[in-house]
Amino acid sequence: MDIFGDLRRMNKRQLYYQILNFAMIVSSALMIWKGLIVATGSESPIVVVLSGSMEPAFHRGDLLFLTNFRKDPIRAGEIVVFKVEGRDIPIVHRVIKVHEKDNGNVKFLTKGDNNEVDDRGLYKEGQNWLEKKDVVGRARGFLPYIGMVTIIMNDYPKFKYALLAVMGAYVILKRES
Amino acid sequence: MGWRQVGEEGERDKMAASTAAGGTTPPVAAAPSGTSFSSPQSLGRVGSNKSGLLEKKSLGFKRLQRQLGASVDREQIRRWKDSAYQPCKGGNWKIDDKPVKIDKWDGSAVKNSLDDSAKKVLLEKYKYVENFGLIDGRLIICTISCFFAVVALIWDYLHPFPASKPVLALCVISYFIMMGILTIYTSYKEKSIFLVAHRKDPSGMDPDDVWQLSSSLKRFDDKYTLKLTFISGKTKQQREAEFTKSIAKFFDNSGMLVMEAYEPEISKLHDSLATERKTK
Repeated sequence: MDIFGDLRRMNKRQLYYQILNFAMIVSSALMIWKGLIVATGSESPIVVVLSGSMEPAFHRGDLLFLTNFRKDPIRAGEIVVFKVEGRDIPIVHRVIKVHEKDNGNVKFLTKGDNNEVDDRGLYKEGQNWLEKKDVVGRARGFLPYIGMVTIIMNDYPKFKYALLAVMGAYVILKRES
Repeated sequence: MGWRQVGEEGERDKMAASTAAGGTTPPVAAAPSGTSFSSPQSLGRVGSNKSGLLEKKSLGFKRLQRQLGASVDREQIRRWKDSAYQPCKGGNWKIDDKPVKIDKWDGSAVKNSLDDSAKKVLLEKYKYVENFGLIDGRLIICTISCFFAVVALIWDYLHPFPASKPVLALCVISYFIMMGILTIYTSYKEKSIFLVAHRKDPSGMDPDDVWQLSSSLKRFDDKYTLKLTFISGKTKQQREAEFTKSIAKFFDNSGMLVMEAYEPEISKLHDSLATERKTK
């Protein structure tokens, strides 16, 4: 197979450079992601809408951009992404009720636009309100349909690994000048 | 690749047959033989009409004869064609075990192949020593960048997000600064130079002369430019020579680099710089 031909003809330095090239691409992606995390203050600045509970505003497969600045107040009508304690999948819903104290403590209730009832059924046993610490971020912008790729890759993990393997192999085996 | 080998085999047999039959070619080492080569009779016999292949072979001999001078005889050329690459006059040297075949439509493979061969000519024929300083610099910058990325990854894993914010910010900024340094390094310091070679001064007293090779081949273009720079160790002055040729001149139809067309170009560049030095 001639795809290894290039690799076999390389000396140590060139081989190391090929590996470094691959590492640099991965590092660049990682650093951009971490940079976004630091810049937006949210632990997951880009999320994909998984369910249809926010239609007609967001549909399944939309990409959402979040920010999570401490100073921003939470007000009724805003769309927040939050994590319920004990579950790792974040939920995108709208804030419908807010109680705020003078010292800044907030309690709020959420409900999906397309749902009949509020989210108390989704919260932890005995929990009736959410707090600021549960918030992953506030939705600031969105891109329609792009998130479908992520949904497909999550539903068919083999496809994801195959794609990553092919891309990785291509970078390592193809020689740059 | 097929037709060449077949042609060669047939060729050898034909030649053996002609000598055995008491043909015009005198025995191996002896003759200076301008005569036997240029005799139309032998050329005519080799050019068989059975298949176009052998006819092409005789053209190859003719071309080589024109290039290298009629003093070279058929037997020498046959020996040369047996080896992977053509030796220079008076010496015998091999570059690789077998010639490399690349996809002739892939621009970067073509450029890499030409660069590698130019490197090998300079290192093997003229016996210069390669200096890895430039390449090492680039590798070090890349390694430091990856190190920052790994530090960020591990720190964030050990101390989840809000706590790791300052360290993360530091690593991200450092990473992008290193990327900037890398870009400046490759654009200004490396500048498409792919070989830095030293000629060790035989007396051991004066500093080494430095030869640099750099090349360029634009995307979807066929003009390949090779530039050879000579920096004298003693006077520190710089002289350069370059040529720009179509890659079609160096590659055959199947994508193999034809060293007998490429190597003289490099030697010409080198000698033009070397002789200038001698006259000064």
